[in-house]
Amino acid sequence: MRHRFLVAVCAGSALASCDIEPSRPQLSFSLNEAVPELNEDLGDDRVAQDHLLGALEMLFGTPNNPGYLLVEEWVDDEYNPNWGDLELSDEEWEALVADNERAFASQIEGIERGNFGDVRVPGSAIDLRRDWEEYYLAEWEEIAAGIEAGEATQADLDAYVEENAEDAVAMFAEWYPTMRESAEFYRVQCLHCHGVDGGGDGPTSEFLSPRPRDYRPGKFKYTALADKARPRRADLLNTLDQGIYGTAMPSFRRFSTAWLHGAVDYVRLLSIRGETEIRLATEYDVDEKLPLEVVQQTYLDVWEQWDAAYDKVIAYDGEIPESTPERIAHGRELYMDETRANCVSCHGMNGRGDGASAYEKNDEGELVLVKDEWGNEIQPRDLTRGLFRFGRRPIDIYRRIYTGINGTPMPAHAEMKDPEDPSRRLMSDEDLWDIVHYIRSLSTHEKTTQVAAETASH
Amino acid sequence: MRLFYTVLFLLVPIVGVWTFAIADDYGWWFPENISSFGGEIDRLFDVIMYMVGFTFIATEVLLAWCILRYSDKSPGKADFSHGNHKLELLWTAVPALALLFIAFSQMGTWADIKYAGSFPDSEYSIDRPMAQVYASQFDWRVRYPDEEGNFEGTDVIESAFDFVVPVDTDVVFRLRSRDVLHSFFVPQLRLKQDAVPGMDIPVWFRAEKTGEYDIICAELCGWGHYKMAGRLRVLEPDDYDSWLAEQRVALYTNGTEDREDV
Repeated sequence: MRHRFLVAVCAGSALASCDIEPSRPQLSFSLNEAVPELNEDLGDDRVAQDHLLGALEMLFGTPNNPGYLLVEEWVDDEYNPNWGDLELSDEEWEALVADNERAFASQIEGIERGNFGDVRVPGSAIDLRRDWEEYYLAEWEEIAAGIEAGEATQADLDAYVEENAEDAVAMFAEWYPTMRESAEFYRVQCLHCHGVDGGGDGPTSEFLSPRPRDYRPGKFKYTALADKARPRRADLLNTLDQGIYGTAMPSFRRFSTAWLHGAVDYVRLLSIRGETEIRLATEYDVDEKLPLEVVQQTYLDVWEQWDAAYDKVIAYDGEIPESTPERIAHGRELYMDETRANCVSCHGMNGRGDGASAYEKNDEGELVLVKDEWGNEIQPRDLTRGLFRFGRRPIDIYRRIYTGINGTPMPAHAEMKDPEDPSRRLMSDEDLWDIVHYIRSLSTHEKTTQVAAETASH
Repeated sequence: MRLFYTVLFLLVPIVGVWTFAIADDYGWWFPENISSFGGEIDRLFDVIMYMVGFTFIATEVLLAWCILRYSDKSPGKADFSHGNHKLELLWTAVPALALLFIAFSQMGTWADIKYAGSFPDSEYSIDRPMAQVYASQFDWRVRYPDEEGNFEGTDVIESAFDFVVPVDTDVVFRLRSRDVLHSFFVPQLRLKQDAVPGMDIPVWFRAEKTGEYDIICAELCGWGHYKMAGRLRVLEPDDYDSWLAEQRVALYTNGTEDREDV
């Protein structure tokens, strides 16, 4: 009978000190299921597959301890992609520090009060917690214990606090997640949909429509960039900030700026790893295996694409043209014109995403939705609902029309050439804005009726 | 053994009351109240808590006393009872009165907060709400009207997971759901309102302190329910006006500011 009572007391005291070390399960990257199709030699050759995975582990580490292999020229340039903070502008860094000061307000307050023992470091910040305990807390506790044993005085403790408080506060204020911490954030917040490898195949993914993004081919739909360029940090941050409306991707605004930058770092690592894997798989050769030069060259080639992304921002010089009934009517003409924008073929007469080209016949001759490059059925956007995944600002819609949507049949209208004079664009920037205004009018009843009436009277 | 069980069962009310007494020190109690009507809600909570607490302590002490008094006695022959009318009337009437008391004591508060007739009618009202809040799986979108107060036009401002409001202002918004049941919950405002598909529900509050607070979905809405955490930002009225003005300008950006990353 007595031990039952003890159990009750223990349960009570466990509640009082809710400070359980978060468990970190061991994860490992697995082979992209598309690899055997890319290269027959890798199909069922476990040794060859391990060879490929080993090369990838050398370059990118493991999910529990990820990190890029450094290239000589990076070291010379004092660049290290494992530290995303090196890529931030001064402004971004200041914003991050200000946000850290807000997010760690209670910790900073605890340090300034001199009560190091009360400072709790959040579970996912594993390295910050370790550093805090190792560099500051351990010594503080030693002196505090010394006071009880009569070996130290309160003055010693005050002196220690005075000497170290400033550095300790700075450690929290200037915290930027390590790749390990970012991977931990990803494990808790993102993995259940996006999967360990970023393949969009986590346990909850099968309940989702649309499916989560597969980062591994390096294709991202929603960027502000032309030429299917790899996303910039700002593009991925924008997705984390806004969520993707109409999908299961929520906004992660409630997390501090530092965490979001860290998540971007890790998503980029997964994407670069995935693309390197696909390329190495195609280049794998039974006799040669994977020579180090090939691995290194592939790694650099993939990286180069991510570096090149920064000069591809789509923007419009000057003020964007104002929406007028004439422009909306012209936009509608372009929308309907099969030789010009031809939006109608997929998005339908009324913009409901039900145009004829949205469907194709499957093997049994049934009409099914067209598939995207990830193999998922996609419905063209219903433009009348006002739910725009990339954003509803005119510039967001302009960018989608301008450069299309990566991985889907949505084409880049700015790249279309006039069939009579291939040196000229089929539609000018102004034409594209007219389409933007027409599309925006579709989700507001008032203007649509107005345009319909005007078109009817023409 | 009798004494052991008496003490063990007496520990239940003692530990129970003790956890309530220390809860505030450990941050287990309510978060700070920033709402004009939050004090009323907390008062109602206290009324019910003290009534329930009194009953809890009384029954637990009675239980312990019965253990002490009647256990370990050699069981004699059982008595048969036809019941006691007076006793039954008493234990029916007392809880009934208690429930009636609770019902009447909350009516005024409910009327003040939830009745359409008591909604604010100053800058914002039921017909001129400050914003629309759309809940969907698993998303909060806040829509602010264009400068003419119109929610249908192309100039509407839409904000993801970020509900910005001015401090010390009667805020009225209309809550809708795009798919299933959700519930708009801001603990610091003491405000919880279900979002029901097909209904357009007016809600009001008055935040009396600036700061950032969590908006939580309080109705299990699917697997991502726990991710549906938005943010309520209470700003000084001037800051709110300039925030809204910034949003109106930013809506029509030409995108050139994105080039500065290079």
